[in-house]
Amino acid sequence: MTRAPQTPRRPLVPDLGGKRAVILHRPNPTLDALARQLAKIGLQVSDCWPDLPAAAATADYVFFDADMGHDEQFPWARGAAPMPLIALIGSEAPGRVAWAMAQGACGQILKPVGDGGVYSALLIARQVFDERAALNGRIAGLEQRLGARQTIVQAVALLGLHEYGEGHAYNRLRQLAMVWRVPIEDAAERIVAHGRDPAEDAAAAARNCRR
Amino acid sequence: MARRVIEIGLLFSQSGVYAPISQAGRAGALRGIDAVNTDPALDITLQPVERDPQGNVDHYGPLCTEILRETGARHVIGTTTSWSRKEVIPALDRAGGALWYPCPYEGYEASDRVVYTHACPNQHLIPLFDWVLPRHGARASLVSSNYIWGWEMSRIAHDLIAEAGGTVLSERYLPLGDTDVDRLVAEIAAARPQFVLNSLVGPSSYAFMAGMAALAARDRAFAPERCPILSCNLTECELQAMGAAAEGVISAGPHFAGYTGPAAWSGQPPGGFASSMEGAAFRAVRALARLLAHRPGAEHLELSALLASDAAAGIDRSTHHMTQPGLVAQLRGGRFQVISATADIAPDPYLARSHLRREGASRLRVVRP
Repeated sequence: MTRAPQTPRRPLVPDLGGKRAVILHRPNPTLDALARQLAKIGLQVSDCWPDLPAAAATADYVFFDADMGHDEQFPWARGAAPMPLIALIGSEAPGRVAWAMAQGACGQILKPVGDGGVYSALLIARQVFDERAALNGRIAGLEQRLGARQTIVQAVALLGLHEYGEGHAYNRLRQLAMVWRVPIEDAAERIVAHGRDPAEDAAAAARNCRR
Repeated sequence: MARRVIEIGLLFSQSGVYAPISQAGRAGALRGIDAVNTDPALDITLQPVERDPQGNVDHYGPLCTEILRETGARHVIGTTTSWSRKEVIPALDRAGGALWYPCPYEGYEASDRVVYTHACPNQHLIPLFDWVLPRHGARASLVSSNYIWGWEMSRIAHDLIAEAGGTVLSERYLPLGDTDVDRLVAEIAAARPQFVLNSLVGPSSYAFMAGMAALAARDRAFAPERCPILSCNLTECELQAMGAAAEGVISAGPHFAGYTGPAAWSGQPPGGFASSMEGAAFRAVRALARLLAHRPGAEHLELSALLASDAAAGIDRSTHHMTQPGLVAQLRGGRFQVISATADIAPDPYLARSHLRREGASRLRVVRP
């Protein structure tokens, strides 16, 4: 007796009915076979060659020819496709595979295309694309935080690193971030822009009043 | 007028664990051939070429190749499991043949070389769930054989149950042929579901039905009217193996013996079919004969060219699946009584149109009667 397989159920099968697929391939039997399989699965299919029109940017999937393709065919920068790309590979020469990868291919189908391979390529490409997008989002967030490290060092210096020590100055930065309800990186940025500990302003104002 | 003699292959196992099903398919195919050969309106005579894989999955590919290479047959009726169907497809590709597959299966396939003449999930599982969810609720247990049929049936069931706001209380997979069902039944007894989907095959299913019947005798919460057992692969041809334990089971399919309601298959021979397994094989032969008759040379056409004809009515030219009635029936007094019938369900093997996209599908429909 076996337990249920522990696979995530929800993301496994994307909704494919009525989704738009564009095939960037010259008219030939591979194009016909691929279009036929996509229609069987329930997608709306169109094709074009040699260039992908700007309207293709709203497609849900783009299949492209890895054998005769080149960068200028795509209306977006290399690797920046806004949907999953699937490479149609005839020649498995390393240069061609590398070029297809550089486009950001999320899956591939070997030519000649028969009646198999299309459905699994759609599922794999969708999952790879979504995972890649999620990872890129996390990396961008982490990079932003990494870039803020120098700002934090500057802020800690302004908050009395030399007078009271590192621990005290850093705690002061954390307190300010909590009071302002912003991430610590944002608080550091404000302090650096301000040029000194905001508490010094309050103390100076108090001194002025007493005078 | 002389009739063209056309050989057609039959690839049904006459022994092995699923012999009751493949024997029903073989009987249907032979009956179909007889009906064609005695039909005065046709100009062809079909000559069967038979091979028996004996329930051994490794025999299907070579025997299919043998039919296509050593005889004039281009079309083969047969195979029973998805596993054997997938074994045969490369042989069809190499030799340029076509398979007519007459059993229910789990979908997610549309081979250029296969015509699917029984039901796929939007024609069996979805009508079955449309029947059960409003009547019994959406808290379910799933039991399956540990191979492709069971995996996909349980996966689709998971989605349909989630869509209805329900819960899968237990889910188990039994190795093919395993009859050790005690723990499985005990788990269901503890989970107390509102229904059980049984996607076990052969002896595993027979043992499970016996175990559940014993449970229902001890605990009326598991009587068929309170916690029905559902199946998409149980037909009349396996009733003998199950005896009284199957009483009350709910099954879905395109045909049940004796059903003549408005949704029924057209063109049934006198006496009808003993099971949908027989009927789907019979209808495969009849559909093939319609495509070959009065078209000299049609027996040499590729399947796509053959199907590009008005005579292909009922066969979807894109997916090669057939429009089917969606019947739900309950076993009462040893006979299936149809309790729900939907006519003419167009095939959707990838569940691209039916699944999770049904207009007006509402969680509110899950209520106890």
